[in-house]
This record gives sequence, C-alpha cells and structure tokens, in this order.
Amino acid sequence: MTVLSDQNKWFDRILAQAVTDLPGADLTWLQEKREQAKAEMLRLGKPTRKQEVWRYTSVDNLLKQEFESPTPDFSALQAGDIRDQIFFADDDCYRLVFANGRIVTDLSRTNGLEKEVSLGSLRASLGIESETIRSQILASSPSTHVFSELNAAAINDGLYLHVSANTKVSKPIEVIYLTLSLENQLVVQPRNLIVLDEGAEATLVEQYISTGDSVYFNNGVTDIKLAKDSKLTHAWFQDESHAAYHISNINLVQDSNSVYRNTSIALGGVWSRTDINASMKGEGAHCDINGLYTIGEKQLIDFHLNIEHLVPNTTSEEHFKGILYGKGRAVFDGRILVEKDAQLTNANLSNANLLLTRDAEVDTKPQLEIYADDVKCSHGTTIGQLDPDHIFYLRSRGISEVEARKMLSLGFANEVLMSCPTESMRTRIEAKIRAQLLSANTKP
Amino acid sequence: MLSIKNLQVAVEDKPILKGLNLEVKAGEIHAIMGPNGSGKSTLAHILAGRDGYEVTGGEVLYDGKDLFELETEERAHAGIFLAMQYPVELAGVNNTYFLKASLNAIRVARGEKELTSVEFMKLIKEKVKFVGMDEKFLKRNVNAGFSGGEKKRNEILQMALLEPKLALLDETDSGLDIDALRIVADGVNKLRSPDRAMVIVTHYQRLLDYIEPDFVHVLSDGKIIKSGDKSLALELEEKGYGWLTEESAA
Repeated sequence: MTVLSDQNKWFDRILAQAVTDLPGADLTWLQEKREQAKAEMLRLGKPTRKQEVWRYTSVDNLLKQEFESPTPDFSALQAGDIRDQIFFADDDCYRLVFANGRIVTDLSRTNGLEKEVSLGSLRASLGIESETIRSQILASSPSTHVFSELNAAAINDGLYLHVSANTKVSKPIEVIYLTLSLENQLVVQPRNLIVLDEGAEATLVEQYISTGDSVYFNNGVTDIKLAKDSKLTHAWFQDESHAAYHISNINLVQDSNSVYRNTSIALGGVWSRTDINASMKGEGAHCDINGLYTIGEKQLIDFHLNIEHLVPNTTSEEHFKGILYGKGRAVFDGRILVEKDAQLTNANLSNANLLLTRDAEVDTKPQLEIYADDVKCSHGTTIGQLDPDHIFYLRSRGISEVEARKMLSLGFANEVLMSCPTESMRTRIEAKIRAQLLSANTKP
Repeated sequence: MLSIKNLQVAVEDKPILKGLNLEVKAGEIHAIMGPNGSGKSTLAHILAGRDGYEVTGGEVLYDGKDLFELETEERAHAGIFLAMQYPVELAGVNNTYFLKASLNAIRVARGEKELTSVEFMKLIKEKVKFVGMDEKFLKRNVNAGFSGGEKKRNEILQMALLEPKLALLDETDSGLDIDALRIVADGVNKLRSPDRAMVIVTHYQRLLDYIEPDFVHVLSDGKIIKSGDKSLALELEEKGYGWLTEESAA
C-alpha cells in the first residue's frame, strides 16, 4: 500500500468521489486503463514549480480547494439558460449540451445527422462503438500531466464524434459544456473523443461556460484522431466563471494530408491551463492553431503547445495573441519539435502580447527543437503596449480614450477573431471581449 | 474663431513656441510657413490636443473659450480637426467602423442622434465620391498598407465626413507626388466654406499653388516674424527663408 502525501490525497479524494457511477463496468480494457491511470497519477503526484512545464503556473490555489462530483441526475437546465450563449441558430447546427459533465438530451439536437456520423455522449456510445473507443483511448498518448491521468482514472462521459470515411458533416457541430453549481464546488471531467476517418470532414465548435460565478473545476481531456485526408475545423472557446479552475488537454494525432484548423479563445476562469499536443505522423499533414486570451483581474491563463513534426513534409502555423489588463497573468509555452526524419518541415510559431496595465504580467517561452537539417522554422514573441500615437489619432477624431483603447485592443485581436469558423461566432465573441474590456480596469 | 495670444510652449523644458500670436476668422485660410524646427507642427499638435507639450504662457481661445480646458476628443466634438502629417496605421481596425465610430461620437457629443449603419453607408459613399477615393479603402483597415497619397486622401475623407469648423492641415503635401497633391488640394478646395476656417502648415510653397490662402505667416524660432497675403509665399519660394530669419534676428 502506497503511503500518500497530503497533496496526493487531494487527487485521491477527487478520484474517490468520481469513481461512483462509472460506465463500462463490463469492459476490462477500460477498467485496466483507469487503474493504470490511477497508479500513474499517484506516481506523478502534485506538480511543482521545479518542473519546467509548471514553472510559471502554481497549482497551490487549486489544491487548496475541495471539490465534489456532481450528482448524476442533474436536470435543472432549461433552454433559456443557454439561449444567450449559443453561437448558432437551432437549424444551422447540430448541438450537444453537457451540464456538469453529463449530456442533457433535451437540449441536444442531432436530427438530420448523416447516418455515417456518430455524435453523442461517450457514455452512451461505449456499448455501440466499443472497438473504436477502445483503440483510441488506449492509444491516447501517455502524459506527464498528472491531471490528464486524474481524468483517465475516472473516464466517464464526454463528447463522442466519429465521422466515417469520405463523409462531410453538413452543419457545424456545437458542443456546450456548462458547469453550474448552486451550493457545492463541483469537479467535472469531460472525456472527449473525436475520430475522423479517411477523407472525412467536420466543423466542431466547443464552448466551456457557466451561467454563474461559482467555484468549480473542469478537468478535461480531448483526443482527436485525424485519418488520412481528413479535415477538422475546430473552434474552442473557454468562457468559464471567473472563479473557476479549468484544465483542458487536447491531444491531436494527424495522418498524412490531414488538415486541422483550430481557433482557441479563452476569456474565463480564475486559473486555467490548456495544453495542445499535436503529433504529425503522416506526410503532408498541416495544422493551424490561432489563439487568443483576454484576461484581467486576478486571472491566470496558461497555454502550452507541443507540436511534433515526426515525418517529412508536414507544416504547422501557431499564432497566439494575448490581451492582459488589471492584474492578469498569462503563461505561454510553445514548443515545436522537428524530428530527425522530418525534412522539409515548415513551422512558424508566434506569441504577441498586449499589456494594457502596468500590473499585468506575461511569461512567454517559444522553443524550437530541430533535429532535421532541411526545414523552415521560425518563432517570435512580442510584449507591448498600446501606441500613444494611435490613441491620439482616435481621440482627435472625437473617440473617447476608453473607446479608443478598446478599439485598438480589438484591432490587435482581430487576426485571431477572423479565424473563427463562422461569422456568428466571431461577432458573439467580439461583443463579449468588448463588454469585458469595458467593465474592466484597462487604464494604464 | 481662433485667437492665439502670446502662446509659449515647451517640450521637455525646451521652449518651442516663444510668444505666438494669430487670429483666424471663419471662412479664412491661413498658411503657416517656416523652416524645419520652427515650431509649425508643434502649433498644429497643441491645438489638436496631443500630449507631450507644456503650455508655459499665453492663451488660446476657440469660439471665445479657453481651448486648453478641452480634452482632445472634446476639441473634435467642438469642430476642430487635424489632418496629420503622418496618419498612423491601425492594425485590425476597419476603416468604415472607425469612420462611423468617429462621426457618431461627435454627433452624440453634440446631442444629435447616431446614424444607423444604413444611413452611414449612404453618407460615406457620397463623401468617398466627393474626395475621389476608391470605395475599396472603406473595407480595409485604417491606413494599413495605404500609400502616402492614399493616407492623405483618407485624412481629407475624414475632414469631408466630420465637417469641422476649424481644420488644421499639418504638412499635408509632404511625401505626395504632383498628382496626389492635386487630388488632395482639390478635396480641400471643395471644403472651403464661409463657416469653416483652415490653418495650413507647410514647409513648401507648392501646396499653395493649389490651395490659395488668404493670409501667409512665416514662423521662425517659435514666433511669427512676418505676415502677408499669398504674394509672401511666392517671395519665400524665390528667396528662401534666409532673408527673413536674418532680418528678424537683426
């Protein structure tokens, strides 16, 4: 019997709560996966700032909180609760809504879905597509990230999307993960699995949101597998409660000539950490990741990218922008790895930060690790403030200083916003950022 | 409309304007000429409300009120417009969005109702035609990737849209070839009106071949050392600034 440290007891307590009511009791591989993850979780233990990947991001406040697993029969969510959050009209998308980690069938819409597409909850799909799920979850890359092991040790529910070969999903798929707790501090651990078979195409728009300002902990893992020639457009929007803790681990594996386009936008959470790990395993694969974070008062946001070019002729573009105000803190760590065999890789990484206030802070670290000799790679970071000449120009045209700062900040974010897959999403997010900057302390 | 009395301005404790006097009435066009470093641009900037200048003496009355009591944007609301020498490029800020925000900010400050998008588009298309600009510049970001001439024309477009009472043109001719200069001057001439005053700051006389001023003033070492009509500009063209600055030093 392992003796647990206080810190490890925290992980164990969360797990003990989460393991009631798990699906797949009859699936040996799943039980084994959970057991292995638990052992790994206890072995890794609490992340410390001595570890490079946690150097700038302390988990202390998170580990001071106590969380409970939600009750499974939660059903109080009404259509009105998400009306202001959704990006698409009902007829213009397929939609899944998860509340506190479990699917809300009443608010989900998949009618008219192509029969070659499986879209639903992982829990419900376990019995139907057991083999696909088994192979993907077992292939999920082993992580040094203790929180993804915590997630894996209690794999329960989440998004399951499987598009069969040469099928194009006709409408965007909108997935809402909503957490709301009235009394207790909840932990939810979505486990999402997205599989596109050869030549398949889909657009997925995910939103992590809350209807209130409560404290909760979202600890998600998303595995994405793109087969040869498939195309996934993926928008990821994190707008959690400003008291919430959020972790997302996105693991992407790309086969040859597949295309992945991601727009990641994060506005919420008191503390959030998002890892995007891309593994480009097939020649001709391309991935494109555009990110934006806009945070302020007491918020911390951490993005870690790990883009691995493993074979020849793959390309990637990673461009992140940050707007920080108040006492906002951001951490950006972007790594591009080009393996020895990965000749003719073309990869570009950038991170630009706009600090609106003196107290805002950013730690940014781009890294290129290149073992091949015939490649084109670049990286760059900037940290800057608004240009007084630009503010003067707008004010001399009658625009107030507050509005001028807002216009210029949104202008800075514009490139990323333009990469949103739909106009409706872009407009909604722009309005949210506008409101956020208006209410916040953005004075220098 | 504009009354500048004994204006003294310093930048980081260095005096730039050293007792400048100027009276501008509605309908008049004044040209301020002078060698580099004489304080021409400082004058335009301080009237428009740019930071970084310290008024150490004198006063400026605009419509009888102390101009320095007004914030930069309040001066715009009150009808002052500065066409800049170096219009900045605003990444990610759409030109139409900017123009509409500007006009509506001024309208709201004056107690008028905002124009709707439809009303605004109708208006801006008229103005674009008025200054002879291509509509495609409306869709671009403010001045981003514009040529020198296009930037200056975008300034004149703003002037046509905002219809200021007092327009300050800071070295509007700099960096323009003769065709661009003619187009810009054309726009300015169309905006001449009995209710509008203009102060044109320029180093060279050539802009005044196209925009005929009522008064020409020579600024040197922070003071106006000579005033006259348009013939003064021609004299300057011929003789340069040397004879005047020597005369005033004597």
